[in-house]
Amino acid sequence: MRRRVAIVGYAQSHHQHNMQKTREDMVFEVCKEALHNAGILREDLDTVVTASTDFLDGRTISSVFLSMAVGAFMKDESKVEEDGTFALYYALMRILAGNHDVALVEAHTQGSTLNPHQVSYYTLDPLFDRQIGVLNDIAAAALQARMYMNRHGVSEKHLAMVSVKNITNAARNPYAHRKMPDLSEKEVMSSKVFYDPIRELTMSPISDGACALILASEEKAKKFTDRPVWIEGVGICQDSYLRDRNIDKLDSLRTAARTAYKMAGIKNPLAELDVAEISEKFAHEELMIYEALGLCKEGEGKKLIERGTTRRDGSMPVNPSGGALGADPVCATGLIRVIEAAKQIKGEAGRYQVPGVRKALAHGQFGICAQKNTVYILGGQGS
Amino acid sequence: MKRNVAIIGCGQTKHTSRRRDVNVAELVSEAVYNALEDAKISLHEVDAFVVGNMPGFEGIAQPEQWLGEWIGAAGKPVLRIATGGTTGGSVGQGGYYTVASGLHDVVIAVAWEKHSDSREAGATTGLTHVALGNIFHASAYGLNLKNLVATSVVGAAAGVAVYQAMFYMYRSGCSPKHFDMVAAKARRNAAKNKYAHLQWPGCTPEDIAKTEIITYPFRYGHVCPASDGASAIVVAEESVARKKSKQPAWFKGLASYSDEENQLQSENMGGVGVTDPSEQRGCWLSAMKSYRMAGIRDPQKEIDMAEIYQPFPSQELIFAERLGLFDENTAWIALEKGETDINGRLPLDPSGGVNATNAIGSSALQRILECALQIMGKAEEHQVPKKVRNAVAHGWGGVTNYTTVTVLGDSPRR
Repeated sequence: MRRRVAIVGYAQSHHQHNMQKTREDMVFEVCKEALHNAGILREDLDTVVTASTDFLDGRTISSVFLSMAVGAFMKDESKVEEDGTFALYYALMRILAGNHDVALVEAHTQGSTLNPHQVSYYTLDPLFDRQIGVLNDIAAAALQARMYMNRHGVSEKHLAMVSVKNITNAARNPYAHRKMPDLSEKEVMSSKVFYDPIRELTMSPISDGACALILASEEKAKKFTDRPVWIEGVGICQDSYLRDRNIDKLDSLRTAARTAYKMAGIKNPLAELDVAEISEKFAHEELMIYEALGLCKEGEGKKLIERGTTRRDGSMPVNPSGGALGADPVCATGLIRVIEAAKQIKGEAGRYQVPGVRKALAHGQFGICAQKNTVYILGGQGS
Repeated sequence: MKRNVAIIGCGQTKHTSRRRDVNVAELVSEAVYNALEDAKISLHEVDAFVVGNMPGFEGIAQPEQWLGEWIGAAGKPVLRIATGGTTGGSVGQGGYYTVASGLHDVVIAVAWEKHSDSREAGATTGLTHVALGNIFHASAYGLNLKNLVATSVVGAAAGVAVYQAMFYMYRSGCSPKHFDMVAAKARRNAAKNKYAHLQWPGCTPEDIAKTEIITYPFRYGHVCPASDGASAIVVAEESVARKKSKQPAWFKGLASYSDEENQLQSENMGGVGVTDPSEQRGCWLSAMKSYRMAGIRDPQKEIDMAEIYQPFPSQELIFAERLGLFDENTAWIALEKGETDINGRLPLDPSGGVNATNAIGSSALQRILECALQIMGKAEEHQVPKKVRNAVAHGWGGVTNYTTVTVLGDSPRR
């Protein structure tokens, strides 16, 4: 990268269903707290990039009444319409280009406003799939899960193991939405079926939530903090549309990860990464993500969960914060992963802290069957 | 340290009320392939895509996920940017940052709108939903809507624009006949632009003045159409640009400052309150920042032409002043003297502008594209006779609070 860029502050809301707060209040609070966390003022910001979508927010130009709430008044600003990790990508580019030094990135969705699964229906090919009316993101994920499970001999028990790991981790995270400290595999496997094999507890909850993050160029970061978290690698990629790709593979994630690893100089991710925070909207996706990130060979994702490698106390903890199964405020989910990865590096993760984290991976996704993916490699001195 | 970035190819579609011959994906790819052809570059050489439109108008969420394959975006980075009326400007600027960051070398920025896919005109359904959230809010607080200025925006774009035009007329001393002149100029210029929508060769201010009044001071002839169309630019770093293009259009300065949303009180009733929607401080700040970055000291002398986002004719005058091209309250005098004509001292919207062609998501990108064409000397019939060294492209939207300003030039930033 042309400049070193660091994460110097962040904040997130207490994600929950139906938060009883206006979108503006929710967003204002996290932005204010992120500035406070970085120890800077609104005046120190050069640029602001937000992430939200018109469909999910249920209004045209979703960002238009948020200029004040995010502190973008009389600032150079923009909005991406997808996951917050894409907004982070844009903010990062704005700093790398040399035009700006300090950026605020904000992402939010109130899932209780408009059911995100209903919105997913409007992302389908409007001329064919939408007209037929049988697909949505959960139905497509069910097809994906069955294809993947059949190909690699993955059972529903494996999916339950992923859910138990993440949802019990979430119980230790004060910001998470779904906290079930005593959740058992049996309970997961007897939860309500939506589309076989997708059950209530093998998919993410519908959350209201927001998060904000402050990025700074090297010179500024060193002024603001003595413990910056550096962005060492980044990759983004989009797959073909649902009908034109193998949905039982996450090729775009593989490409994004390859780009990010190359930039960060990572050759063996399993050995070199200390923790990963990933956006698994469904339990089976976590296993697919392991493979696409190169943490194991293709088809061996189930072994990582069987062996407990990715548990909080395993050798390669994945989603100690609870991941997307713990809270899923759609556009914010990926950016929360980046924040959680940064917290692990700074030793601020409290009851779900993994000891000695110096290098962390964060993953964000958007679209049906994880069509778009982003990967960030973060690094720091550790706590 | 700084990486120079240029536009090396431009592509757009023919704009009309209804493009029944294509679907959204085909419309978008038409613009992309035209741009690739213009840049003499193949899809394999493209590293990344920046895309955008206003999704409410076509009723498709995240359309780039469905149509990515049509434009060859599969397996590549795609960034979706959407900021309402400024979407195109934001997409063009996203194209700049994507290359300037050093993360990618050749990028396609494409923006579009296909209004005819909406059962009603996008300007009514889509734009009413901008205010809807606030109206629900106000109702929840038990406020009487009749007393709220916010309700003026329920008249969608025209509701805001008349209110803004009245402020400008009052402070500058211009009259509705100047709006007739701007609109007639836009129609005449559009007649020379083969991609434009409302083309009317030889249109005179008297022709416009004969049309019906919609809301004072605007007549039917003043208002922009709702168009189907797309536009795309190929953005490249310096070495590719020099290799592929004899005269690339270099990005020299850009900014997009947000003003306060104009509803007097802001969402939480705690704003400072913009009382004059023609004040547009965000535009002024964006222009100052862009000129500073471009090394332009006196825009009145150094800018050779401008493409201003003017769905309503008053906006060409308001923003020409805010962009520093004329002294405060004098743009209409320059208009009277013919200075802003296609062969004038400082041509404004030689393409006909948004007043003649408005595919909303695409409109602000078209401004950048048209400036690039003028610099590259590819504007054909609507090429301005004077040599264009520096041009400024403007985009405007939101609830009168978003602005994008992009300065292009015939030589890179020093």
